[in-house]
Amino acid sequence: MTAILTENLTKKFGDLCAVDNLNLTVDKGIFGLLGPNGSGKTTTVLMLTTLLAQTKGTASICGHDTRLAPEKVRDCISYVPQDMAVDTNLTGRENMFVFARLYGIEKPKEKIDELLGVMELSDRADDPAKTYSGGMRRRLELAEALVHEPEVIFLDEPTIGLDVAARRNIWTHIRTMTKKGMTIFMTTHYMDEADQYCDRVGIISHGKIAALGSPAELKSRLMSDVITVTIEGSFAPVQIEGMVVVGQSDNVISFTAENGREALPLLADALKSAGNRVKAMSLHEPSLDDVFLQSVGKQEEPQGFEELKFHLMLHRRH
Amino acid sequence: MKGVSIYIYRDFIRWIRYRIGVISSLVLPAAWLLFVGLALPVTFTGNYLDFITPGILVMTILTAGISSGSLLMFDKMLGFLNKFLAMPVPRESILVSKILFVSMRGLIQATIILILAVLIGATVMTPLQYGLVYLILFLFGVFISSFSTAIALYLYDHDSFASFTAMVTMPLFFTSSALMPYSAMPGWLATIAHVNPLSFAINAIRDVTAGSIPVVPILMLFVFTAIFVGLAGYVFRKVTI
Repeated sequence: MTAILTENLTKKFGDLCAVDNLNLTVDKGIFGLLGPNGSGKTTTVLMLTTLLAQTKGTASICGHDTRLAPEKVRDCISYVPQDMAVDTNLTGRENMFVFARLYGIEKPKEKIDELLGVMELSDRADDPAKTYSGGMRRRLELAEALVHEPEVIFLDEPTIGLDVAARRNIWTHIRTMTKKGMTIFMTTHYMDEADQYCDRVGIISHGKIAALGSPAELKSRLMSDVITVTIEGSFAPVQIEGMVVVGQSDNVISFTAENGREALPLLADALKSAGNRVKAMSLHEPSLDDVFLQSVGKQEEPQGFEELKFHLMLHRRH
Repeated sequence: MKGVSIYIYRDFIRWIRYRIGVISSLVLPAAWLLFVGLALPVTFTGNYLDFITPGILVMTILTAGISSGSLLMFDKMLGFLNKFLAMPVPRESILVSKILFVSMRGLIQATIILILAVLIGATVMTPLQYGLVYLILFLFGVFISSFSTAIALYLYDHDSFASFTAMVTMPLFFTSSALMPYSAMPGWLATIAHVNPLSFAINAIRDVTAGSIPVVPILMLFVFTAIFVGLAGYVFRKVTI
């Protein structure tokens, strides 16, 4: 059963098309939906989590249509919005208890203890959540989301506002979750994190998917690696298949290659045998940032909504 | 309904941990009872305390009930509502739990007022009378909190909602029969007071304290409450899907 499947999923707010004929198949592992602010990421998540009705098209989660069988969809998902909604006057354990009981778990004590342990919150479980750091609150939310063993988890900006160590920690936990066969659907605008942790990413721009694939695929598809070589003395030209000299300034020469890591030793050998004295070589792989900028194009800061559209968004959820 | 009790558990713990909120909700009605009930020099009734206690009970339920929308509003603003709506529990249980929680919280406050009133000289009633008073207050609480949640679902920020409740609460109280009987009011005020839902609940409680069982007012209160619960449910469904 495909975890997430959308067909021509479209959402319009008045004449603003927030999500435009989205066709997406996501199954197992971490899928990252990337995009600039206002590109339709959150709207997509709201539709997939049955919180918002689409204008057109269909979406199904684990084989259940989000509009025809929303209860069944809600049974197999968890949704963690970006707001960090934790009851701060309740302890971690009490927060967990509320969620476990809402998910219909009759005797949740063991499950709660287990998950608090997994999320490294055991020793603070009986302190009020207001004493928790941002990272701890996020981990508590993840523990809550896991309590009914969902098949798909939706995370909206899971690491926003956290420090570097907390982010890495959250990612380690998210990765562990996928090992049990869960599907994680997340949004982010941290490209480095998406690059490092997502199995697949989709870049969304103006409600449309602009690029889709694994981070490595996208990077290699969109541009080749760049190798810069510093030599001593004069440069004796070399010919290697698949490599092109793109520029030379004094004794620094730049090459491009399909796969820089493999090309690097070949180039070093070739340069040496042609009589060059190589002083330094460096490889610059294109980052997901490059891919993002290339597929999204020149970005303008979104202007926000007009007052009327804002009201439409809030009220007209049909 | 599945989920209602656990939502109430959550709101209840949040309320008792927020101590100043508990204290203030008990101090305000007590202040009314003491400063108005004991101090006002009135001539139209023998025991003014007996006269004004129903009014203060209903006012307490009014302020308690109106906060139901506020609770829902904060859940909406802080992201809890979206989390809850994405869960397999019936969505309406969120609404039902808020209405029941604030109504019950109102009844806790009412109990304090009833005890205090007796301590400072009000007449002690029979258990049946107290039962009827609680029934009327509960129905009225459900009525007000349904109204309040319906409004909160329409307004999208807490400031608008706070302005709305401030605008509604005081005028409703002063144009009701809480402080004086119809006969002691100027004509225009009596006209308004007759159609004020607060007067309705207050008069029903006064009937009870006078020794009769106000069957028709209770039934009417029940009908109005049912209509408003239905209305809140309708708005809730409309806004959340």
